[in-house]
Amino acid sequence: MSKKAKSATKTETIDGLKTAAEGAQLPSVSRIEEHSLLPLTPDANKQTPAVGQRTTRYDARPHLTGQTMYIDDMTFPNMLHMKILRSQHAHAKILSIDVSEAEKMPGVVATLTGREIPVNSYGPSYQDQPVIADDRVRHHGDPVAAVAAETEQLAKDALEKIKVEYEPIPAVFDPLEAMEEGSPKLHGETNVYASKVIKKGDAEQAFKDADLVLEKRFSTQMVEHVPMEPHASIAMWEADGNLKVYSSLGRITLGRADMARTLNMPMSRIRIIATIVGGNFGGKNEITSEPILALLSRKAGRPVKGVYTREDEFMSSTTRHPFIMDYKTGVTKDGRILGRTVRIVCDGGAYCSWSETTLGKGAILSVGPYNIDNIHVEAHAVYTNKTMTGAMRGFGAPQVCFAYESHMDDIAHELGLDPLEFRMMNAFGEESPSPTGQVLESVVVRESLETASERFGWKEWQK
Amino acid sequence: MMIDVKMTVNGQERTASVAPETTLLTFLRDSLVLTGSKLGCDVGDCGACTVIVNGNAVNSCLMLAVQADGKDITTIEGLSDFEHLHPLQAVFEQMSSFQCGFCAPGMIISAKHLLDKNPHPSKGEVQEALSGNLCRCTGYTKIVDAILELTSEEASAA
Amino acid sequence: MKQRGRGIACMWYPIGFTVLANPSAAVVKVNEDGTATVLTGTVETGQGSLTVLGQIAAQELGIATDDIKMVSADTDTTPMDTGAIASRTTYVTGNAILLAATNAKEILFEVAAPLLGVRPDQLEAMDRKIQVKGFPQKYLPIGEVAHQAQFVKGRPALGSASYNPPTVAMDPETGQGKPFSTYVYATQVAEVEVDDETGEVEVLRIVAAHDCGTPINPTLVEGQVEGGISMGVGLALQEEILFDDDGKQINPNLTNYIMPTSLDMPDVEVEIVKNFDPTGPFGAKGVGEPTSVPTAACIMNAIYDAVGVRVTDLPATAEKVLKLIKEKKAAEQKQISA
Repeated sequence: MSKKAKSATKTETIDGLKTAAEGAQLPSVSRIEEHSLLPLTPDANKQTPAVGQRTTRYDARPHLTGQTMYIDDMTFPNMLHMKILRSQHAHAKILSIDVSEAEKMPGVVATLTGREIPVNSYGPSYQDQPVIADDRVRHHGDPVAAVAAETEQLAKDALEKIKVEYEPIPAVFDPLEAMEEGSPKLHGETNVYASKVIKKGDAEQAFKDADLVLEKRFSTQMVEHVPMEPHASIAMWEADGNLKVYSSLGRITLGRADMARTLNMPMSRIRIIATIVGGNFGGKNEITSEPILALLSRKAGRPVKGVYTREDEFMSSTTRHPFIMDYKTGVTKDGRILGRTVRIVCDGGAYCSWSETTLGKGAILSVGPYNIDNIHVEAHAVYTNKTMTGAMRGFGAPQVCFAYESHMDDIAHELGLDPLEFRMMNAFGEESPSPTGQVLESVVVRESLETASERFGWKEWQK
Repeated sequence: MMIDVKMTVNGQERTASVAPETTLLTFLRDSLVLTGSKLGCDVGDCGACTVIVNGNAVNSCLMLAVQADGKDITTIEGLSDFEHLHPLQAVFEQMSSFQCGFCAPGMIISAKHLLDKNPHPSKGEVQEALSGNLCRCTGYTKIVDAILELTSEEASAA
Repeated sequence: MKQRGRGIACMWYPIGFTVLANPSAAVVKVNEDGTATVLTGTVETGQGSLTVLGQIAAQELGIATDDIKMVSADTDTTPMDTGAIASRTTYVTGNAILLAATNAKEILFEVAAPLLGVRPDQLEAMDRKIQVKGFPQKYLPIGEVAHQAQFVKGRPALGSASYNPPTVAMDPETGQGKPFSTYVYATQVAEVEVDDETGEVEVLRIVAAHDCGTPINPTLVEGQVEGGISMGVGLALQEEILFDDDGKQINPNLTNYIMPTSLDMPDVEVEIVKNFDPTGPFGAKGVGEPTSVPTAACIMNAIYDAVGVRVTDLPATAEKVLKLIKEKKAAEQKQISA
C-alpha cells in the first residue's frame, strides 16, 4: 500500500525537503537528504476528479509541525483553571458539602456544587446524569464539587479542603446481580433501563428441526477510549452576555442543546467551537465539564479552562460496555443455520449515556451477517455502580462479533467444515432480509470473505 | 523560591526564572509558549511530550526545567518553519501517517532521535524506538511505513 | 513451544443512527475565482473527515481538493450537524455537502448557459470548467462563471442543503423495521503465534478486506482500518479497566492499563472491497467504526486454531490462555487414562 501512497507526493515538498536540509542544519536532515527520497508524481491535491485521489490532509502541516491549537494549547488573559473533586464511594448519599474552607485558599476564585446548576441533568437518551452529583453519588469518580483557581495546582490543593459528608449505601457491580429483584437500585425501581427484542420465525422449532444445537456464553470487558488528548474545554462570557466555549466535543450541535438545557439559556447565546479534537472514538460525544466551566466562569468573571487528567479520563469519561452474551444456534448436518437465539446483558454503569443506542445496535447486529430465518434476540441494559459506559467505536458490534464469530467457528469445527466455507454458505447476499426484515442492498460479505482469504492465502496456509 | 535557568531551545538561548517543581514540559509550554509538545498523561507513559535534550529523547513531563539548565533542547517547533518541512514531517504528510495529530510531535521527535543515531533502521528498530510513544488512531502502521520509506535502501538507491 | 494458528471473522455494520433522525446540513460557497468554501458543523476528530468532505465538494464542482477550504465545528458560523459519531460523516454529512454543492453548481449553470448558448441541463462541471456535455471544447473556466454570477448577474453561487438517512421505525414487539439506510461489510483474517508454555499470544499478521462503498480517499480508508485493528488488538488481548471490591478503578492510568504500542502491532494488509452504494455521495458509505469490529473475533479463532482452546471471555491475557491450555491438557490426560 505504501507504494500507492507515493502517488500522493506533493511536488512542492520535494523542494521543501531540500531547503529544509540546508536551512535547518539538522544532522539527520542532511544525512537523509543525500538521497532523492520521494519520486516526482502528480500532486493529488491539485487533480481533478477529486474523488478517489490519495490527497494529503488539509490539517497535515499544522499537526506535523506542532502548530495545531488543541484546547490545552490555548490561553486567554486572566484565565483560571478548574479541578473537579470526585466521589470516593461507589454508592452513597451526599449529606452535606462544605466549600467554605476551599474558598479561603489562596488563589481560589470560585467553587461550584451541583445545587447551583440550573438544570442538573443530562444524557443523550435519558437525562439521568447530574452534571455534578448533588444528593447521591452512583460510582467511584462521580463529580461532587469543582474549583476555579489561578493555577491548576492551587485548584487541586483547594479540593482537599472541601468537606463532603457521605452516607454509604449498598452498591451493585455485577450486571446479572443488578437485574435481581433485591439488588440495590441506582435510579428508580429497577436497574434494567432499556430492553430490545428482535423476533423472526420460530427459533424454538428450528432447534427441534436442527441436527446440531450449540450453546455458549461469551463475555467482554470494560475498555477506555484513551484519546491521546484528554477532554478539555475553556468557557468565557463576553461582555454582551454571550457564552463562548472552546471544547473537545465531537458533536457541537447536540453539545449546544445540552448546554442550553443545563444552563437554562437560549441557544443563540451559546457558541461552541470545537477546533480540532485529539481523538474521539465515541468518548467525546457528549458534554462533561462544559456547564461547570461556564458557571465557574460566570461566577469569576474570567475565562476558565478545564483539562482532564488521565485519571479523570479513565474514571469519569464513558467506556466500552461489558457484554454478557448467551448464544444458541441450530444447524443442519450440511451446515445450514436454521435458528439462533441471543440474550445480551449490557453493563451500563452508573448512567445511561449511549447505552440505549449501543444495546439497539448490538441486538440488531448480534445475529451476524448470515441468512437465518428463525431468530430471537433479547437484550437488556443494566445500571451498576461503576464508571458509565457509552458510545465507543462500534456501539456493541465488536462485542457481539467476537461472540457470533467465535460461535460460528465452534459450529464449523463440530460439523467438520472449513470456517471460510461455512461462512460463505450462510452469508448475506444481495437482497437478503436482515434480522429486522430490511432488504439489504450493496451487500459484499462474500466478496470480503473471498478478498481477505485470498490475500491471506487461506487455502494454501499451513502451520 | 524561583531558580534562574538558561538553555538553548531550537538553537536560541532562552533564560527564565522558574519554580523548582516546574517540569521541562510546563516550562516549554507555559513560559516559552512552545505548545507543540503535548501533555497526555503527565507521568511518562504516553510520549506526547517527547523532546530531544543533548541528543537524548526524553519525556519532558518527567524532567524538571532546572535539570535542563545549560542543555540543548530540540522540540517539534525546531524542525521546520513556515516554508520548509523536515523530511520526516514531509513523509508523514505524504503518507498521512497521523490522524488526530496529538501524538505526532512526540512521535516525530522520537523518529528524528532514532534517525540521528541510526540512519537506516530495521522495521524492528523503528518499532522499538517508537514504543514509548502511544498513538490511539493509526495503529502505528503508516508511521512505521513512513520512517522506513524515508530510510530504506530502496530510497537511498533512487 | 510456539504454535501458529489462523482465524477468520466477518461482520456487518450500519451507517448512522438506529432509526433516529441524525441530519447534517451544509453550505457551499463558490468564490468568485472558482475556488469554494464549505461550511459544516461536523468536527474533525482525527479521521481526516474534513479532507474527505472537501474531496466530495470538489468532485461535485469539478474542481480539485486544494481548491476547497473547509470551515467546521462552530455553532455560530456553521450549520447543524449530528457530528462525528456512528460512522456517519462521509455518508450523511457527505450527502449534505454534495447536495449543497449541487445547488451552488445549478446557479453556475444558469449563469453559464446563455453565455455558451445552451440550456443549463446541457452543462457539466469538470476540470475547473463549466462545459457542454459531449462538447468539452465548448466551455468557460469555472472562475469566470463564478465571477460573472457575483459581479454581473448579482447571483452569488451559494448552495445550502441538508440530508437525513431514511429509516423506518422498528416494531417494539418484534424489532421488525428498517433501522438504517445502509450497511458496510468486512472480513479480517489473523495469523497468531501462541506460546503454549506461557499462554502469550502474538498477532503476526492481519489481512483486512473492508467495504466502504467508494473509497473517497483510499489512503485515509487504510488509515481507519489500521487504527481500528490496533483498537481491536487491545480489546482482544490487553485492555481492561479493573475494579476493586469497592468499585474503585485499580488501573486508571497508562502505566497499568495496557494498550497496544508499536511493538504489539501485527503486519496489517488492507484490501478495499469494490462496491458502490447509489445512496451515498459518489457511492461512498463509511469506514470509521467497523474497522475494529472483527479483529478480536479473528484473533480468538486463530488462538483456537493454534492451541485448540476457546476463549469466551475477553481479553485473552496470557494467564487466561495458559489456564485454558492447562485445562485442555488435563482433560486430554484424563481421557487417555480413563
